[in-house]
Amino acid sequence: MNLTRRDFLELAAVLGLTATGGDALAKLNKLKPEEVFEFKPVGNVTLLHICDLHAHLKPLYFREPSTLLSHPSLVGEPGFLCGEAYLDYYGIKRGSIRQYFDTAVDFVELAHKYGKMGGVAYMATIVKNIIAERGRDRVLFMDSGDTWQGTAVALFTKAKAIVDVQNALGIDVMVGHWEFTYGKDRVMELIDNHLKAEFISQNIFDEMWEEPVFKPYTIREVGGVKIGVIGNSYPYTPIANPREFIQGWTFGIRMENLQQIVDELRNDKKVDLVVLLSHDGFALDIALAKNIKGIDILFSGHTHDPAPKPIFVGNTMIVIAGSHGKYVGRLDLEVKNRKIVRYNYKLIPVASNFIKPDPEVEKLVNHYYKPYEKKLSQVIGKTETLLYKRDTFYSTFDRVISEAIREETDAEIVFTPGYRWGTTVLPGEDITVDNVYEMTAITYPDVYRFEMKGSQLKMILEDIADNVFNENPLYQQGGDMSRLLGMEYEIKITAPMGKRIRNIRVNGKPFDPNRYYVLAAWGGNLHRAGRNPKKFRPVYDIVIDYIKREKVVKPPMKSNVKVIDIPCGCPKKGGICP
Amino acid sequence: MNRRSFLKTTAVAASLAAVAPIVNVKSAKADENKFKEALNKITGGKTPKTSSDVKLVAPNIAENGAVVPIKASVNLPVEQVKAIHVFAKDNPNPYVFSFYPTTQNGEAFISTRIKLAKTTEVYAVAELNDGTFLQAFKKVKVTIGGCG
Repeated sequence: MNLTRRDFLELAAVLGLTATGGDALAKLNKLKPEEVFEFKPVGNVTLLHICDLHAHLKPLYFREPSTLLSHPSLVGEPGFLCGEAYLDYYGIKRGSIRQYFDTAVDFVELAHKYGKMGGVAYMATIVKNIIAERGRDRVLFMDSGDTWQGTAVALFTKAKAIVDVQNALGIDVMVGHWEFTYGKDRVMELIDNHLKAEFISQNIFDEMWEEPVFKPYTIREVGGVKIGVIGNSYPYTPIANPREFIQGWTFGIRMENLQQIVDELRNDKKVDLVVLLSHDGFALDIALAKNIKGIDILFSGHTHDPAPKPIFVGNTMIVIAGSHGKYVGRLDLEVKNRKIVRYNYKLIPVASNFIKPDPEVEKLVNHYYKPYEKKLSQVIGKTETLLYKRDTFYSTFDRVISEAIREETDAEIVFTPGYRWGTTVLPGEDITVDNVYEMTAITYPDVYRFEMKGSQLKMILEDIADNVFNENPLYQQGGDMSRLLGMEYEIKITAPMGKRIRNIRVNGKPFDPNRYYVLAAWGGNLHRAGRNPKKFRPVYDIVIDYIKREKVVKPPMKSNVKVIDIPCGCPKKGGICP
Repeated sequence: MNRRSFLKTTAVAASLAAVAPIVNVKSAKADENKFKEALNKITGGKTPKTSSDVKLVAPNIAENGAVVPIKASVNLPVEQVKAIHVFAKDNPNPYVFSFYPTTQNGEAFISTRIKLAKTTEVYAVAELNDGTFLQAFKKVKVTIGGCG
């Protein structure tokens, strides 16, 4: 590690706590604690927030997107900010830990300097320090969901490992999305018998009787302030994930119901503050806040954005706390006469190299890993190039997955889903079994090969493109484009629905809408629309065997998609490139 | 909505679903004309005025195009409302149903499920007893979905 004293001070300032990690501490033991306590507590209320942990109990590398495109009227603002445009927007210093955590700029270099991110034992130290400072009765800890899914240990324990960690962290309230892919019986079992937090959602109803499945809200007294917390689980769960997991439940945004609950909390329950805990996605929540009156604070999730400063829509403050356990959001409030008079917000990076892990939570993590440690730590190969996930169209780790599927199925075109969760492996590093699960650990892992007519394939691609690029965030599903191997295309983001994709080539040849193509796909609904579907092995087994055979992977960094109307991956406002 | 009124409307919805078959996609222009024709048949050529007195609740993105839940209501005394007509603009058959509330309904409100062939605007057109037509509409996306 090549940290200077200056780096360390900066780091400590960002962390807002006394850093006590190994050699950094040894070098800097003369530092006075008060110099590093940068967070200025305010008022009597501390609201802590995490979102999209994706079951990452241990520290990892996770690179933010190198391309994050949407409609030009949306890009360059929180929700669609990345790279240099992000650094400029938030005024972040080059080479800082903030740059490392929040962007893809100089990622590999900074990864060697600052080390791995996240890890629940390190997160626990931050949380426990805050609770010790403020007192438990002044702290409410909220979790925006996508917490139970994303790693092998979550999959193998059917999320039990993660629920126990949530209990140890002291999560008070949560909502969900990928949680539901364990099936509603398992979800209810975990909520009823294991989870200490309250699971709330105003937007999940029984299909037959239109009765709410969960408590829509909870009222908590925090530091003498009465807070009504309303829950929004991911409104498009039945569309984005297989329906059979939640058969009989119906979701949606349900703005009318939400407005009624806000009014009820304010007028009848006489709460001091109304909070919405959501898994809607940052852009959707910004649009939602324009349509709902009376929400004081909106804790967002789903789209994985790190946003170091709150944004305001009218009187509603909106924050979102990144993903993969990389951050804890801390919001301190002074509330008088049902109004926020002062606040301080910080997105605290969980920089695992500089924080002493909490022994209790570390023990719990080790306990859950132990039965699988040998299998998961097995080295299956090496990568020459950076393996990453986040990008609107193409990523290197998805390329490796798609190549593996192509070899297994002999398909002409391979679809890999545009999820935003995954992992990052640095160039020259080993790839482990655990890494493969970090990219593929889902409860419906089967790969399918099927045939589909060109015209239908094009229509489906247009459909997915509209879910990503629709000008109105209320119609976006908050994911990235499916990744395609064997197919190249150009896209005009601003074109109307159904007319965005052009100049398609399949394995070097012009696309024929009347021909049937052989496709392979996983993690979606696609095979249901195809003909002659054939089921293959789970995706993780296919990928593990492929990397073992290859020994060294070196996927190209170049995307197979050309964007016509925005010439860079991280534009500023209006689609202008820095 | 209580269980009783729900049971009533599911019966309505079931019969409605049967009359809206999925047909292959046709040109947007033909759809536009079909919608206008269907609307004119109801309004006698009058153009409905978009009004906040008509409320239409429908999902932004349908979970299942075959059964899309909608709620339509008119914020006027039920005595003044002759009917609520519902259209799905880009359905092969854009006219979906008409609901005639009576004073026994208490209010001009209907909750039901309709079938949508593809992404379309859904219209709720209120016909008042004085012969005026008011409307509300909302775009509902019908998608195969897939990202997460």
